[in-house]
Amino acid sequence: MEKAKISAYQLFILIVLFELGSALLVPIAIEAKQDAWLAILIGMVGGFCLYLVYHGLYSYYPDIPPTEYSQKIMGSFLGKILAFIYVLYFIYLSARVLRDFGEMLITSFYWDTPLFILNTLMALLVIYTVRKGIEVLARTSELLFVLIFLLGISVLFLIVVSGIIQISNLKPVLEEGIKPVLKTTFTQTLYFPFGEVIIFAMILPYLNRPEKVKQIGLLAIGFSGLILASVMAINVSVLDVNNITRSPFPLLSTIQTIEVAGFLERLDVYFILITVIGVFFKMCVFFYASVVGTANLFNVKESARLAFPLGLAILILSITIASNYSEHIKEGLHVITLYLHLPLQVIIPSLLLLIAFIKNKKKKSKHSKNLFPKRKYRLVERDKK
Amino acid sequence: MNHNWILLFLIMTSTVFISGCWNQKELNELAIISAMAIDKNEDGKYVKTIQLVNPVNVAGGLQGGGSGQSPTVTVYTAMGDSVLEAHFHATSKVSRRLYHGHANLIVISEELATEEGIIDILDAFERDPEIRMTSRVVIAHHTKAGDLLKSLTAIDKIPAEKVNGTIHTTERARGESMEVNLQDVVTTLTSAGKETVISGFSLKGDIQQGKKIENIQQSELDTTIESDGLAIFKEGKLVDWYQGEMSRGVVWILDKIQQTDVILDREGQENILTYTVLRQKTRVSADTTNDLPVLTVRVRAEGDIREVRSQIDLTDPYEILDIEKELEKEIKKQLENTVIRTQQNKSDIFGFGEVVRRSDPKKWKKMKNDWNDTYFPNLKVNVKVEAFIRRSGNRTNSYLSDMEQ
Repeated sequence: MEKAKISAYQLFILIVLFELGSALLVPIAIEAKQDAWLAILIGMVGGFCLYLVYHGLYSYYPDIPPTEYSQKIMGSFLGKILAFIYVLYFIYLSARVLRDFGEMLITSFYWDTPLFILNTLMALLVIYTVRKGIEVLARTSELLFVLIFLLGISVLFLIVVSGIIQISNLKPVLEEGIKPVLKTTFTQTLYFPFGEVIIFAMILPYLNRPEKVKQIGLLAIGFSGLILASVMAINVSVLDVNNITRSPFPLLSTIQTIEVAGFLERLDVYFILITVIGVFFKMCVFFYASVVGTANLFNVKESARLAFPLGLAILILSITIASNYSEHIKEGLHVITLYLHLPLQVIIPSLLLLIAFIKNKKKKSKHSKNLFPKRKYRLVERDKK
Repeated sequence: MNHNWILLFLIMTSTVFISGCWNQKELNELAIISAMAIDKNEDGKYVKTIQLVNPVNVAGGLQGGGSGQSPTVTVYTAMGDSVLEAHFHATSKVSRRLYHGHANLIVISEELATEEGIIDILDAFERDPEIRMTSRVVIAHHTKAGDLLKSLTAIDKIPAEKVNGTIHTTERARGESMEVNLQDVVTTLTSAGKETVISGFSLKGDIQQGKKIENIQQSELDTTIESDGLAIFKEGKLVDWYQGEMSRGVVWILDKIQQTDVILDREGQENILTYTVLRQKTRVSADTTNDLPVLTVRVRAEGDIREVRSQIDLTDPYEILDIEKELEKEIKKQLENTVIRTQQNKSDIFGFGEVVRRSDPKKWKKMKNDWNDTYFPNLKVNVKVEAFIRRSGNRTNSYLSDMEQ
């Protein structure tokens, strides 16, 4: 752990940018057809629950990252294995985000450029940022959030003005009943993007006002969920469902449809700016967590030194995880959701919380035998410091 | 100090790598395509025609030099078994890299659309990230698609601009054609409850004359291209052409009329009054209580009187009410004619199927597969029109009323 503090506002922005990151790129929840927005909203509610689980763990161990408290909960050996699995998971996810970024740029704009070049540039930038530490990352996010917000507002304005929104495309709501929507939620949107917020368990200990963690996290998830749902609703109403299922980057197609006053058209650059900024932060957060987690697990004192080797590993991983775009997306939206996200985002954290709960209850019941348990507990804490 | 120099050097070298020049193409290496056309020849091969802009000649006559000597566009044709193959063959005829980013028009020949359909040719356009989904699509009526691109035009120097501009203006001012882009075509092709409509364009005069620059060096052009009706598709194949009021009916039911004229006849005298619709709203709703859905088209139109050719007393509100009633009847008649003819074509271009789907998804599932052939032709369609006359221009009664009989 480096000695750093981030403010509540910075955490909010980081979570929002993280959630939007690659979720804005790909057609999420499109299995639910025109009810994709609903699947996202239900996923968001699930995200609230998951966040409460992570927050529960945090409230038991507010000063140490999960790689450390897993050892306290499960014992040194099992806990270390678990922490190692999580670190690998974070590394894999940052490689995925990097690949998303490269694929997006190549498919739509740089079709002659090799994937390696684009990914290298992004990886170098991320390595540099992570070496600078979480405070720098948080401050950068504050700056760029304003930009992304203004861009978003102006795109929304242009879409509305150009009159391409056809609300009727969103109807009929629940054409096939609620079942496909729930299925999409529990096989996809719950984990990607909302469950991925588990990464913030690594970052929560840095917050300068621990009492605000719960409120800020829930607010940020709600805010980003609303944005994602409305973006997907706009995509569907502009493009029609059939066109989205065939389009690798629906938001790009939507923005390309804008034609205002005969000259405001071909605004692809908006899409590039929004997604590159989002993807950058998502990758930074993932990568930061992997670096800090590795350092914590293997007792490396200067975690920044790990940035380069790990960054290189992620760069190579990002190119080798899939041999083509379909494979990459299929893995991301259908395979790893069930085999990686479900156990690592839902099952294990819940188990950990349960064990932590029981352990702490035992502790408490021991304390309650004393006459002034609370006071004594506090004194002990103070002595430690 | 030494350290700083190394840093500066590194920063400067990094600009070489991060300036994004991997894909760079200079403007003078590009051939800018303004329009593309697809025909099919006797051997069954696709013929692709591309219209390239000559930037120097577009810039204008004032600069002198080459303009006037050579035309604003140059056209190349190439053949192939698929659209993309034809495109590859075209590259061997042009010295520069073909650039699609500004292509704004795709012309498809009537013959190809009728015999083979447009389903097989659009994927290459949709897939290429350089081609915009907002490119307009047009069907060449009574002419080859390629010829439409070869004819030079006045006022708009680039023929593609002329085609797009004409369709845009016709849609806004008369409502007899419709701007349809690539995305609309693909969306309607994939939708079970809506069929495709594409505007037509035709060539008047001799194409050999039209290719020459002398054609536009006269006040009245020998060869012109003009907007010409709507092509009606069924499952990707062209089945009918609508003209005039018939095509306006389609645009009207699709709620795309922005301005149009309705002419009123009375017994004994035709064309007594011209009513210009300035605002209108058309809503389509479906009642699915019975086995066969009942569709209702509600039109609400507002407008002015623009021409009077008889002694109507426009100062009398009751007279205005009468005229409104007659106008409603006239519009209703026209829309019903369009609906009947379309039902005979068995092609649901109005998207009635989509309306049914939205109001009753379960019933729609049963009807979906034979919607066009079984259900749509037998639908009962009610047309309800409300027309309002708001003003009558700079005069109340016509001077005809003051003339002695």
